[in-house]
Amino acid sequence: MVLETNLRKILVVILASIALTACATQKKAGKMTGDVYTGTDTVEYLATGVRDRVFFATNKSTLTTASRDTLRKQAAWMRKKSSLKFTIEGHADERGTREYNLALGERRANAVKDYLMTYGISGSRLSVISYGKERPVNSGSNPLAWSQNRRSVTVKVD
Amino acid sequence: MKKLILTIFCLFLFNSSAKAVVEVDITRGNLDPLPIAVSPLHVALGSIDVKEGEKVIKNIGEKISGVVEINFKRSGLFNPLKKESFVQNPDIAHIKPRFEDWRLIKAQALVTGKVTVTEDKLRVEFRLWDVVAAKEMIALAFSTTPNNWRRVAHIISDKVYQRLTGEEGYFDTRIVYVSETGPKTQRYKKLAIMDQDGANVKYLTLGNELVLTPRFSPTNQLVTYLSYFKNLPRVYLLDIETGVQEVVGDFPGMTFAPRFSPDGKKIIMSFAKDGNSDIYTMNINTRVVEKITEHTSIDTSPSFSPDGKYICFNSDRSGLQQIYVMRSDGSQVKRITFGKGLYGTPVWSPRGDLIAFTKVHKGKFYIGVMRPDGSGERLLTENFYQEAPSWSPNGRVLIFYRETKSDSEGKGFSAKLWSIDLTGYNERLIETETDGSDPSWSSLLSK
Amino acid sequence: MTRSIFLSLVFHSAMIILTAISLPFMMRTPVDLPPILSVDLIQITDKTSIPFAAKAAKTLEKIKKEEEERVVSEQAPPTEKKKEKPDRIPLPDDLNKEKKEIVKKKQNPKEIKDEIRQASEFEKEELFDPNQIAALIDKSKEDTAQTLKKDNKITQSNVKTSFAKGLTLSQEDALKAQIFGCWSLPLGLPYHKNLLVRIKLKLKADGTVLKSEILDHARMNQPGQGFYKVLAESALRAIRICQPLRVPPTGYEKWKDLQLNFDANEMLKG
Repeated sequence: MVLETNLRKILVVILASIALTACATQKKAGKMTGDVYTGTDTVEYLATGVRDRVFFATNKSTLTTASRDTLRKQAAWMRKKSSLKFTIEGHADERGTREYNLALGERRANAVKDYLMTYGISGSRLSVISYGKERPVNSGSNPLAWSQNRRSVTVKVD
Repeated sequence: MKKLILTIFCLFLFNSSAKAVVEVDITRGNLDPLPIAVSPLHVALGSIDVKEGEKVIKNIGEKISGVVEINFKRSGLFNPLKKESFVQNPDIAHIKPRFEDWRLIKAQALVTGKVTVTEDKLRVEFRLWDVVAAKEMIALAFSTTPNNWRRVAHIISDKVYQRLTGEEGYFDTRIVYVSETGPKTQRYKKLAIMDQDGANVKYLTLGNELVLTPRFSPTNQLVTYLSYFKNLPRVYLLDIETGVQEVVGDFPGMTFAPRFSPDGKKIIMSFAKDGNSDIYTMNINTRVVEKITEHTSIDTSPSFSPDGKYICFNSDRSGLQQIYVMRSDGSQVKRITFGKGLYGTPVWSPRGDLIAFTKVHKGKFYIGVMRPDGSGERLLTENFYQEAPSWSPNGRVLIFYRETKSDSEGKGFSAKLWSIDLTGYNERLIETETDGSDPSWSSLLSK
Repeated sequence: MTRSIFLSLVFHSAMIILTAISLPFMMRTPVDLPPILSVDLIQITDKTSIPFAAKAAKTLEKIKKEEEERVVSEQAPPTEKKKEKPDRIPLPDDLNKEKKEIVKKKQNPKEIKDEIRQASEFEKEELFDPNQIAALIDKSKEDTAQTLKKDNKITQSNVKTSFAKGLTLSQEDALKAQIFGCWSLPLGLPYHKNLLVRIKLKLKADGTVLKSEILDHARMNQPGQGFYKVLAESALRAIRICQPLRVPPTGYEKWKDLQLNFDANEMLKG
C-alpha cells in the first residue's frame, strides 16, 4: 500500500517536471534567436505590417536578416510618405557601463540610418538620438527583458 | 652535558664583548580602528545661538564634535568612543586633560576644543592630544561665518586624520551626483550636490530633461555633465555659484562622458559622429577643439593622469571594451587590460599610482584598481550591478553606485551611492534623500 | 502563450505541493558558532630547548666567524639605490599656482595662527621636536652603515637572538605576543613602502621603559615619508600601553638593552 502511494507520487513529480521543461524551452524558442529578440511583444507599428523597431545582440550593432527585412519595409513606407521626418532612437540594455551604452546606442541608431539611406531615404529626413540604457521598455532584470531593450526605434517626428 | 655548559659560557663571553642588543621583530598588530575620544566642544560664555536660515542650532559645541565623530566613524580608520563614558568636562579637558581619565576608557587620542559665536563670526579652537604619551599633538584655531560651522568640523577632521595617518584627509569635500526618482522606464533625474557626509543637499537642475554623469572641476566651482536639453544630448558647464549653464562647444552631434583636465582649463569628452565616438578636448576659454583619438571603435570615458601627461580611456577597438592609456596628445596608445571580461570607466587616482575601473565578467560587476601599466589588478567588491568609481582627493576612498534587480513591473529597483576603502574594507552605503547615481568627488574645498 | 503559462503554473504548484508532502523534511536549524578567540599558549622556559645540541657548537663557530667578517665590511660606505617606481607620476608644481588664479574663494574658514600655543599646560618637548633632529642626525650617520645592512637581515638576527643573545625563543614569543596585542596599526599606511620602525629601549628590571629611542630618526621629516612619523608614533604608543613589558624574571643584563623592530609590511600586504 505504501509502495503504491510512493510510486504514484514519484510518477506525478516526473510528469510535472517534464511539463515544466517543455514550457521553458517554448519561451526560449519563440522569443529569441541567440541573443536577439525575435518576438513582437514590445513592437509597435508605423503602418500595417511595418514594425517600428529592430533588435540587437549583446554589445553588437549589426543588423540581423530579420532586422533588414523590417527596415526594408520601413524604407518602402517612408518613400510613400515623402513629407515625413523621423528620429531613430538607439538603446542598450542595463548590463553595461552607462557611457559605453550611450555610444553603443548611437552606433545602433546609425546602423539603422545608414541602411535606410541605402534604400533611398534622404539623410536629412533622419535624425539620430541615443538613450543608452536610460529608457528601457521592459523593467525586468532577466535575459528576455534585456533583449527587448537592445533596440533601435524609428519614431515619426510630428 | 659539559659541551653544553661550555657553549653557554662562550655565549656570555661573546655577548659582553660585542655589546650586542637583543632584537625582537614585531610583525603583527591589531587592525582595529584607533580608539579616539572626541569631546564636545566647550561653548564660550556669551556666545549666541547659530542660525541656519530659520533654524536655530543649539549646542553648537556638540553639533561640531558630532560631525567630526561621524567623519571618523565613516572613514573606518577611527573608533570614536561613546560620550557617556567621558569623565572630564569639555572646558577643563581643553586646557588640561587628565590623561588617566581618558586612558581608563581606552582612548589613545583625544580631541577637545572651544567655540565662540558672535553675530557675524564663529571661532573654533581645537587640540589633538596623544593620550598615551600625555602630550599635545595639534593646536589650531579657525574663524568663519556662523552658518559655515560644518566646514570647520570637516577641516578639524582633516587635520586630525592627517596627523594620525600621515595622509591628507578628504572630509572637507563635496559630492555631485544624479538624484533619481520615478519608474525605471522613465526616470526623473536632477543634478544634486551635497557635503561628503550627506548634509547640505542642493538640487542644481529642475529635472525637466535627462541629466547624466556630472564631474567637478579641480577648482570646485564648475560642474560638467551631459544634458538632454531640447532633446539634444550635449555636454554642458554649470557654475555652482551662479547657476548659469552653457553648452560646451558647437558640436553637430552628441557629446558625452565629460571630464575636466587637471588644470581645469579643458574639457575632455567623447563626440559621436556618424555613429563613431572619438575623444576630443576643448579649451574652455579659447574654445579651441582638438581631436585626440582617431579610430572606428567606440572611444569614451577618458580620464587624465594628475600631471596631465597621460589619458586613460575605454575603447572597444580590440572587439570588446578594454582600458587603454595614451599620451595627452593622443599618441602612443597602449592597451593595459588583458584579463577575462570587459573593462570600463577608468579613473586615474589623484595620487597617480592607480587606475580604478569597472569590470564585467560572467554576469557580475566588479569595482577594482590596477597600476597604470595594467599590472596588480585587484577587485574590491562584486555586485549584480555597480559601476563608475570616483576617487576621494587623497586617493584612498572610492565612491560608486549600485542598482538592484527589478521585476518586469520595475518593482524592487533602486539606485544607491556606495563607498569603499582602497583596501577593500569599509564598504558603506551613502544615504541620500532620493535614489542616486553617477557620483563624482570634489577636491578639498580649502585648496 | 497564456495557455502555456497557465499549464506551467499548475504543474509548478503541483510539484511544489508534492515535494513538500512526500520528500523527507530536511531542515536543520543553523548552528550558532561562538566567535573564535585566538589564544596564544606560550610556555616559558629558561633555556631555549634545541634538539641537537651537538650541532650547536659548530653553528656558533660559523656565526662568530661571519660576525667578524661583517664588522669589517660594514665600514664601507652604503650604496643606496633609490627604488625606481615607473608607475608614480609626480605632480608638477605650477598646478597649485594656476588653481589660485581661477577661483574666487568664498567662505573658506580662516586659520588663526599663533594664538593658542601658550594656553596649553602640556607644551612639553616632543620626541619629534625638529630642533633636536640636528643633534640626532650625527648619531644616525654612524648607525647608517650598520643599520642599512641590518634592514635586510631581519631573519638572520632572529637566529642570532636565540643562540647568542639574551632571550630564549619562548621568552621572545611571550614578549612578541604581548606587544602584538598592544600595537594598533595605523590603517592609513601606504602599500609597498618600507614600513620598518626600529626602537631601542633601555629597560628596568621590572619591564618598565627607562628610555626609548627611534633609530632612523632622520626619516621622520623627509618629504613623502609622512607615514613614517605616524608609524613610529604608533609603535611608541604600543610600547607605552604595554608597560610593564613581559620580560624574563632573571638575566637582566642580557635584555636590558632591547630593540624592537616594528614591521607593518606583513599585515598590510593584503
